[in-house]
Amino acid sequence: MFSIIVVPPQTPEDENTGTQFRLAPGERLVFGRAVSEGGLLIGHDGVSRRAGEITAHGTFWTVSNLSAHQTYVVENPEGAGEHIKVAPGRLDAPVPFEFSRIVLPAAGDLLPVEVWAPRHDYLRGEGGADGEPTAPAFSVDRTKRYFAVLAALCEPRLRGAPHAPLPTMDQVVRRLRPTWPAASRTSVQWNIDYLAVKLRLKPGPETADPGPRLNGKKESLVSLALRFDLVREDDLVVLTEPSGQALR
Amino acid sequence: MTEPYAVPVPRGYRVGAWEVREPIATGAFGSVYAARRVDTGHGNHNAATGRGSGSGSLPETAALKFLPTGTGTPRQLTHLRELIEREVELLRRLRQPRLIRMYESLTVDDPADGRLDGATVLVLERAEGSLSALLGTAPRPPAGPALLAQVCAGLAQLHRAGWVHGDLKPANVLLMADGSVRLADFNMAAELEGTHAYTPAFSTPDYTPPELLWSEIGERGRRIRPSADVWAFGVLAHLVLTGTFPLPGGTPTARRDAAVAYARGTHELRLSPELPQAWSEIVRACLTRTHSGRIGTDALLRRVTAAAEGTRGTARRALVPRSLVPRSLFPRSLSRRSSRRPRGRPRRTFVASAAAGLVALAALGYGAVRWADDGREPGAGPRPGGTASVSAASYGAAELRTDRDVPPAYRLLIVETAHDCERDEVTPALVAAILKAESDFDPDLSDPAKDEYGIARWTPSVLRWWMNEDGTPGEAVPQPPFPPAESVPAMGRYLCWIAPRLEAGLEGDRAVLTAVAYRTSYKKVNDAGGVPPKYHDYAVRVAHHLKEYTPRERK
Repeated sequence: MFSIIVVPPQTPEDENTGTQFRLAPGERLVFGRAVSEGGLLIGHDGVSRRAGEITAHGTFWTVSNLSAHQTYVVENPEGAGEHIKVAPGRLDAPVPFEFSRIVLPAAGDLLPVEVWAPRHDYLRGEGGADGEPTAPAFSVDRTKRYFAVLAALCEPRLRGAPHAPLPTMDQVVRRLRPTWPAASRTSVQWNIDYLAVKLRLKPGPETADPGPRLNGKKESLVSLALRFDLVREDDLVVLTEPSGQALR
Repeated sequence: MTEPYAVPVPRGYRVGAWEVREPIATGAFGSVYAARRVDTGHGNHNAATGRGSGSGSLPETAALKFLPTGTGTPRQLTHLRELIEREVELLRRLRQPRLIRMYESLTVDDPADGRLDGATVLVLERAEGSLSALLGTAPRPPAGPALLAQVCAGLAQLHRAGWVHGDLKPANVLLMADGSVRLADFNMAAELEGTHAYTPAFSTPDYTPPELLWSEIGERGRRIRPSADVWAFGVLAHLVLTGTFPLPGGTPTARRDAAVAYARGTHELRLSPELPQAWSEIVRACLTRTHSGRIGTDALLRRVTAAAEGTRGTARRALVPRSLVPRSLFPRSLSRRSSRRPRGRPRRTFVASAAAGLVALAALGYGAVRWADDGREPGAGPRPGGTASVSAASYGAAELRTDRDVPPAYRLLIVETAHDCERDEVTPALVAAILKAESDFDPDLSDPAKDEYGIARWTPSVLRWWMNEDGTPGEAVPQPPFPPAESVPAMGRYLCWIAPRLEAGLEGDRAVLTAVAYRTSYKKVNDAGGVPPKYHDYAVRVAHHLKEYTPRERK
């Protein structure tokens, strides 16, 4: 029942790549160069021993800057430069972005810690008049890049053939490039991984195997998205209009 | 998407035998309109295909639920069609007293109106309002325990039939003109496959158990268990009885987080101190951290029934101590009725909760359940305009006269017991007539000489075979007292078993013969080819009361 996911910076010498910290509301994660067990260890000499603390609250999270001198910047990677600054000593600064990158300045390097808040909900346009609305258990932001990726994956089946094969990773990248020039296999894969978390995709039996079986994940994502109408035919315009902007 | 009604239908629109009147409500998936039956058989009908759902004639008024399934609807929603199929499927297959009834389903055939053409129309029982509307005008309604007992009975009926509701909340609890409760909106309902069902991943956060809040979702939807409805019932009970949600927080999001924190063990459950002790225990049993610790629906129903009854039960029981008649005095010899194990179809419904409901009403001294008219136009519903008020004293007035000596406190129990039996002979008037003839409605009757006790004069060794609503015999011979909430439903089950065993062509009224068979046995009645001479007086008495209690316009 996590609500916040922290993805540590990927360093080449690090063995524990791919580790994610999943925080439930109220849980805290301390990060720094010398944190006790259970914390997020950032092995860089430029980082304070206890550099900061992340606290999960339902849909948002707060960050405390425990360093003495350094200001942290929390960026919204798809927010066209949108960011907040957290001054040294500031406690529990709330962060509203669905995904964020905490940038820790460390002796000339900039270390990114990614934080995902997949529980952000979005209006679906359908409201009940009597009492509380029955809401879908998940919703997506149609302005985000992950939605463009999902649309590209669903496109062949939405355009007609219900059993069309899914596009390959390279086809998705090519399809997205006109509106998202920086698209790459890695960034598309990142969005697919995020979608699986966002939509709480049940891991299929194939994930019991060691090693990623990405095809299975793509297939499950597409069938879930089509089944619950997360992507409809008229949503395919995101493939021709620039997405990944906070405003459109 | 901005229009207020999901499916706009003009007033006066004709679908099948129905003419659309004013709108009642709209939801995310469809819109509900009042309708009246205009049985001309000709005219400007807009329905080509319809599927009736069982026997019986159509009522004068109904609620039409329009669901946008047409080809011309702006958005073709595949999941919507699936949601509708769930609801139709459930309503077609389940007919239970506490579930809203569907009379028929129609498909609009109106090429001139592309928005309506192809829409599915469910013709449903017309309700007076929803629990949500009632709570909006009157938080903590005095009849709360009675309503909750009926909601719980509805859940039990659903679960026993192998379904999970999946979206229990006040807006989906409808209140009928007679003050009784129906569960409605089965879009999210799912049929169990083993211990689980798959439901589309929609929910109302305040009523969703924590294990489903962020559950994983597979391609078939979300796995759900009946315990999800039990959690929702706990939330509902707390809300109805105290006016607040059990989990703290000013917004659904805050309460959702509180539910998760509670489930993780970081928060304790702190229920409102206003909650009476018995209800506090019930709510706790529903709101356990994990589904595995949650109370089962049948056990829940028993406790809710007892709690709803509790308010007055103590007062009456105190006058009749259990030790009034020592057990050793009970003669064990004779049993006047067939004590063979019933082989009939087990009765799957349960009415004791209805009894509990009425008892609470009576005990609290609140004669009437009231709710404000929620802006409907006058002249539409069964009770035009203003407010509708229903009391225990007039419950089921259409089938059981109110101006005779049937005690109001037993009306709900009598009426619901009769409704649980599908035999035409077993009517509320017959049940009342037998109770009159047997005990003169004396709940404390004790006749050790004949070994008969309670309002229905049950012999303990016979009651054993009929005491459980699922058709299984009691583990031991029960001991008096037998309160009406046990006696009357058991009598209904026995009557319902007798009725089809009486041979065709017997002399006399079938209902009276059923009553006589209750007093003696169906074999004796069959052997005698009618009322055995010994029971002539009894038959006359029952026939007299039956006539007396039956409203004039019927039969």
